[in-house]
Formats: sequence, structure tokens, C-alpha cells
Amino acid sequence: MSERVSWVPEGVDTGRPSAARLYDYLLGGGHNFAADRALAEKFLQAQPNARAIARLNRSFLRRAVLFMIEHGIRQFLDLGSGIPTVGNVHEIAQKADPEARVVYVDFEEVAVAHSQLILEQDPRATIIQEDMTKPDEVLAAARYSGLVDFAEPVGVLTAGVFHFVPPQADPNAIVAAYRDAVPVGSYLAVSQFTQDLQPEEMAGIVEVMKKSQNPMYPRTKAEIEALFDGFALEEPGIVPTPLWRPESTNTDDPDKAGIYAAVGRKV
Amino acid sequence: MELPELAARWMHALTSTAYIPLSHAEIEQSLLDFLRDLRESPESVAYRLVSLHATGPDSLRATIEVLSPTFELPLLARLSSAYAQAMRTDAFDQQEQIKVAIVRAKQRVERTLKVSQARFQEVFDSAALGIAITDLDGRCVEANDKLAEIVGLESGADLTDRDLRDFYHPEDLVALGASYRRVSEGQADRFRDQRKLIRADGEPVWVQLVVSVLRDADGRPTHHVTMVDDISELHLLQRSLDHQLLHDSLTGLSNRQHFLSQVERQLDGTPITLYHLGLDAFSVVNNGLGHDTGDKLLKIVAGRLGRLAAERNAVVARIGGDEFALITVGDDVTSTVEEIQEVLAEPTFVDDHGIALSASIGVVDRPPAFATAAELMRCANAALRQAKARGKRQWALHDPHDDARRRGRYALAASMPGAWEHGEIEIVYAPVHDLETREVLGAVARLHWDDLSHNDTMALADSTGLSLPIGRWLLREACAQAARWVEEFGDGAPTLHIALGALQSRDEDLVADVKRALDETGLPPERLRIALDISSVLAGDDNALVLHDNGIVTALDGFRGGHDELAVLAELPVRSVITRAPAPDPDSPLYQAMRALITTVHGFGVRFAVDEVHTLTDAAHWRRAGADGGIGLLPALTAAEVTDLLTTAASLPPAAS
Repeated sequence: MSERVSWVPEGVDTGRPSAARLYDYLLGGGHNFAADRALAEKFLQAQPNARAIARLNRSFLRRAVLFMIEHGIRQFLDLGSGIPTVGNVHEIAQKADPEARVVYVDFEEVAVAHSQLILEQDPRATIIQEDMTKPDEVLAAARYSGLVDFAEPVGVLTAGVFHFVPPQADPNAIVAAYRDAVPVGSYLAVSQFTQDLQPEEMAGIVEVMKKSQNPMYPRTKAEIEALFDGFALEEPGIVPTPLWRPESTNTDDPDKAGIYAAVGRKV
Repeated sequence: MELPELAARWMHALTSTAYIPLSHAEIEQSLLDFLRDLRESPESVAYRLVSLHATGPDSLRATIEVLSPTFELPLLARLSSAYAQAMRTDAFDQQEQIKVAIVRAKQRVERTLKVSQARFQEVFDSAALGIAITDLDGRCVEANDKLAEIVGLESGADLTDRDLRDFYHPEDLVALGASYRRVSEGQADRFRDQRKLIRADGEPVWVQLVVSVLRDADGRPTHHVTMVDDISELHLLQRSLDHQLLHDSLTGLSNRQHFLSQVERQLDGTPITLYHLGLDAFSVVNNGLGHDTGDKLLKIVAGRLGRLAAERNAVVARIGGDEFALITVGDDVTSTVEEIQEVLAEPTFVDDHGIALSASIGVVDRPPAFATAAELMRCANAALRQAKARGKRQWALHDPHDDARRRGRYALAASMPGAWEHGEIEIVYAPVHDLETREVLGAVARLHWDDLSHNDTMALADSTGLSLPIGRWLLREACAQAARWVEEFGDGAPTLHIALGALQSRDEDLVADVKRALDETGLPPERLRIALDISSVLAGDDNALVLHDNGIVTALDGFRGGHDELAVLAELPVRSVITRAPAPDPDSPLYQAMRALITTVHGFGVRFAVDEVHTLTDAAHWRRAGADGGIGLLPALTAAEVTDLLTTAASLPPAAS
């Protein structure tokens, strides 16, 4: 950048840890930097079960996508998709049905650039760079992408996202805006940290993340239930991630899962 | 252990160490394939494990634990070694991928920035406004060429690293500093101000400033943006207009309006003296040498008066064509007047003509504090008229009593043209009596306006330049009226007497006017008597002679009995003289003198008439002294009243008249 624009702020700063890359690291990915890993170590100190929590959350996302596919959903809006890591939504969905379409939404420059790299060859998946807390802009961009038909049911995915949305951003209103944009029969998947499980460790995580660019806001089951206004919760309702429609006998301790998960259908 | 059973155990062990995005059945099937290939190629299995994403920190340990009872150590060692290698490769691949992503993200941000930077640069470079981006200390980070132009530098780059405040007027530094701070501290979004910048060459330049602040991502102020609009041309134009409004374009002195405002400012009891100068005989210069010369002379006079004013800290102005005014404080009138005359008397060479000037000066000294500037100017003007009446190089001090009288007169004169236009000035007819027989000899056509006498009205007309048109109008209207009377009453109609004002008496068109009036109205020439102002005859004018030669009987008005007047009577064929004088009381010594004068006049074969004889006693006195006719015994009548009278007289038996 030339000297004459030195007063223009830089756009990409790899020295600041990001929650998306932290998540990647916890999942055993290599798409991360020293700053992300340093933050992850602190995270692990506060919550030694963090790797399992990440794995279980990622696993829930997979099951939720497959659940929606089973119920006829062929288009997905993945809000706050983060760094494409292992088991991405389009891979899962398209493995089930090659015609399935996915629009990823993220705001962070590197996550977006990385997603574009991954999706370059896939005409049925794309990433749009928008802030998921601004539904109007997200929905406009999603329409523009041509991959989402809002006359047909949509699978709206918010896996491990809402715990980054502060109360003052009014998460209920954000969900409501997406709900109002999709037809009846659409699905909403939510997973988010809760203080209902392991409140001490949760407080530790909040403390660790407080100084990062992605502070966290855990929510109670009741608060998460409020997000599903206008949706009918699918069985088994709001539960720790490993208890949501597990594939086989669960061997993980639900009390240490950290995250509640649920899927609802718009009614 | 059978391989399927081993695969199931392996699957359970692995899935708790890593997220493998497949169903348990799929994972189990993959692992069963791995087990079957393991002996042949543990390296291939290791790579496929990593591909499957069985890459958790504990995935290898879990694998070895599950497999070690069934497979021998060297095989597992090969598997472990290959797994580590695959992990390394996988990590490198992912790092490579994320780096590419980073580069791309940066490129995109840069591209976006470049586009917006390009847009900004275009605005910055082509703006009609000067723009500077300064850090919070005032140092220029960047400035455009327009700003450089405004402050007198070559290019915007010349401003880089310079303190923008170097270009502020030193007196503005504190105020502007405070304004900049208010903006950076967020008390205001921006400020606007009109200030003077000091250019690189030291010249001031008026600018409009608009200053706002730039903040970083965290909202902290980092730079100021200063937009600078050069408004000096506007300022110059404004000042030039102001100057033009307040100054005389020829001499550059203050004009009347500006002078008035300056007088007004000093009307607070300051002992001021106001001099109103009228250059003597300046019209001679203008008419004789041309207006260019006149203008040059006026400039020279302005220069000299300007210097004189500067010496005494006085204010000088050109307030009329050849009129100047001066206002001084605590002045000695006589010496100032002398100095003014000295300054003007210094011979001036204009276009090879040596000209010495003088002025008539009206002075108002130490006026009362309650006077208004307009009043003072009027008083000074009145004094100037007085001075002019005394001749050249005279000065007069304003006399408040005299002024009241003149003021009424000037007011009347000013309203005269309007009055005439609106028919307020009428022609009346005053009977001329034979003082002996008391017979009416004729009627004098006279102007009547308000309460003014004919002579006052004519004098006023003279002072306004209206006397000629009014005189011609009187001549023509009266002739027309007299002609109608002749037509109606024949010999019973009165002879028309018309007394002309001084100007009309000298008018070279007079004879033609008279003849035209007679021709057009059909009035017989013998029915008209023209009285000329005696001053015209004394001045050598030959109107009296020409009128006489045309068969028109003439009289001389304003006769006083001087020797020069008597001499004229010897030369000119006039029928009578008309005088205005107090009636000679037979008991007074004047009586004999008047009687001797009238005898002398009679000696020239000229009749002696008296105007303004208002009483029968006066008429009797004049008669005794020898006067022939009198005017004023009966009030003047309108034309209609005269007609009525003539009608009545005609119906009466002749004896009764």
C-alpha cells in the first residue's frame, strides 16, 4: 500500500485470533495461525472438553443437514459458516443429493476467501460476505446468488453462531426476519453454548473470549427456545448436542457437551 | 478377533477422538477396508486414515490400542511413521490453503481499497476546493494541487509534511486551534469558518474553511480533513462594490453618501466644522476647454484637497460635479478657508492650459449636537449659495435665521415644476389704471401661484430654469385670451400687458416667440404691450428695439431711475417705464426727487407707471408726483372674472363706466 493511503485502515489482520479458526483448530484442522492456537490453548484451559464440544457440534450440524434432507430440504442457508473445515454442509448435502444447493454466509475476510477457494468448482454452492445479524442484506444477497428459491422450503443453519450474537443485537428479531423470509415447512437448526451445562467452565470460556474479536454470549434453554418462535421444535427438542438424534449409542457425556442443539420446522 | 469386530471397535475408538463427517456405518466400512489392506501397505492405510480425518490428537493412540493385539509391532511402527508423515503433509496443505485464502482476502481488500482510493484520488485531485489531510498536530499528510495553488505553491506535494497552520493568519491561530480541537474531540462533526490565509508570498487570501475529522476503526480521531475554498475574488468584488458605492469614481474621494455617514459619526458633540466648496466658474473650464480637461482638473483639485485633509486629519469628499466637502475637528475657520484658497490658487497646467482656481465656500461651524448630517449639508449648501452670490473666492458662515427664509424659498422652487404641470400656476389679469382718469388702460397678465406675487413666482422660475418655458406659456396663453376678448368685446377689450422676467427679456428667441404668439392667436400687435426687464436693456440686449421695429409697444420694467437707465431711455423707443417704489409722501424730501425723476422721464417722451400701488392714497401721491399709470389698485382677476366684468360693462350705458 502506497504511503499516501497510510491513513486508510488495513482490512486483514492475521495477528488477531478469529473464532472461526479457533473452531477449526479444535476440530484438528490446520487452517489456523499462532494467534488462533494461543487463544485455543486458553480455551482448552477453561474448558478441557473443548475438542469434544467442537466435534459434537460439528457432528450435530451433519445430522441436522441430513435430517432436513430426509424431510425434503434441498437448499440451505448456512449462517456464520466460518472456515470450511471438515464435513462442510455442501459436502454432506450433495453426498445425499447432488442437486442440493448451499449458500454460505460469513463476514470474516479470510473465511470468505477460503470458502471461495473451496467452492470455486461447485456451481451449487457459494459464499456471500455479509453480516448474518443483518438479515435484510443477507437475504438480498442470497436472492441475488440465484441458489435459493424462497418459494421453496429452506434449511436455515446456525450452528455455533448465535453465541457470538450479543443480546443487544436482538437475536430473536434476527431469527424472526429469516423465518419471515422462508415458506412454511422450512427448517431452522440452532446450536449454541449454554451456561445450563458446566456453568463454571462456561464462565471461563466467556472470560477467555471476552478480549477476542468474538466475545461469547451463552444462553439458557428458555432463551434458545425463544429463538424458535414460529417454529415447531422437532424431537427431541432442545438438548445437549450428543443427545440430538444420535446415530448410535452415544458414548459422550451430554453434561460436558457445552452446547444445546435443536431443529424446528416453520409452521 | 474377526476383522469386522475389530473395525467396529476401531470405529468407536476413533469417533471419540476426531470428527469424521460420515455415518458410523460408513466409517466402519472404511475401517474394515483399511484392516484388509493393512498387512500389504500400512503406509496407504495411514494416508487414508488422515484423509478420513481421523486426525485428532488421540486418534493414533486409539488406533494403536485397538490394533496392537492383532497386528505386530513393526507393522504398527510403519503405520505410525506413515501417519505422522501424512499428518505433516495434510497440515502443510491446509496451511497452504489458508495462506492462499489470506492472500486472496488481502487482495480483495486492497482491490476494494484501491477502487475507493482511486475514487477518492479523483475527487481529491480534481476538486475545485483545496483539500488537506493533516494529522492531529496539523502536519499535512496529503494535500491536493488546488490547495497548493491557493496558498501559492507549485503542487500538493509541496505541502506534505508542512504544518498547515503556517498558512493561517497569526491572529487566527488560537481560535482555529480551538475549532480543530472541538472537531477532533467530537463536540462537533465539522466546523466552517471564513479566514484569511497567508500565502507563501505573504499575500493574504480569503478562504472558506470546512474542517472535519477522520477516525480509525476504533473511532479514535487520527486526521483532520480541511477543505479550503478560495473566496478572495468574491471578497475583492464585494470590497470593490463597497468602494464603488462609497467613493467617487473620478477622483477616488468619498462620495456624498459616504461623507454623510462620516459626518453622522462625528455628530456626538465633537466640535466639527463643515466646509462646502463650489469651484468658481468651473463651467467655464468645462465649456471652454472640454470635459476631459475639466475631469483632469477635478482630479488635481481632489488630490490637493486630499493632502490638505490628510494633514489635518480631516475627511474630504466630492459631493457634486464641481463641489467638494471637508469636515474638520476643532478648527480655525479663517485659516482653513485661506489654506483651501491657497491650495486651489496654485496654477495648474492641464493640457497646456495654466489654470488657477478658486472656490466659494459655505461653512457650518460647530453645529449643535442634535443636528442631522443632512441638515448640516443643507446649511452648508445654503451658506455656499450666499457666498457665491457675493462673487468669486468668497466664503460665508451659515446663518441659522437667514436659512429658514431660504429654505422656504428653495422648497417652493423645488415644487414649482410639479405645480406647473398640475395646472396649479394660473394666469391672472391685473388692471392697469390711468392714475388721472382712473380709466382701465389694460390688463397685465401675471402668474399666480399660492400666495406668491408674480414677481416672486418669476424669480423662483428663474432659479429653477423654468422661467423660459413658463414665460412662453404665459405669452401664448395670454395672447390667446386677449384675442378672444378682442373678438368678443372689440374696442372694449383690454390691451394686454405682459411683463417678462429677466431671462426671457434677454432670450434671443423672444421676438420670434412674440410674433408666433400673435400669428397663432390673431391678436393685433397694437393690442400687446411687452414690458422687458430693464436689466436686459442695460446689458445691451436689442430685443426692445426689434420688438419696436415689429410694431410692438414696449416698456421697461424694474426702473429705478439710475443714470444708466435714463441714458437708455434716450436711445430706445420705449413707451413707458415701470417702477416699484414706496409711494412718495408729499411731506417727505423724496417727493421732490421723485417728481423731478418723473419729469425727466417724461422729458424723454416716456410714460411713468408704478406697480404695486395698493391704496387710493398711494395712487393719489403718485398722481401728484406726476406718474401716469398704476397697477395693483384692484386685485388681479382670473380670465373668467375679467370676461364677466367685460360682459357687465358692455351691457351698461357708457355714462356709467
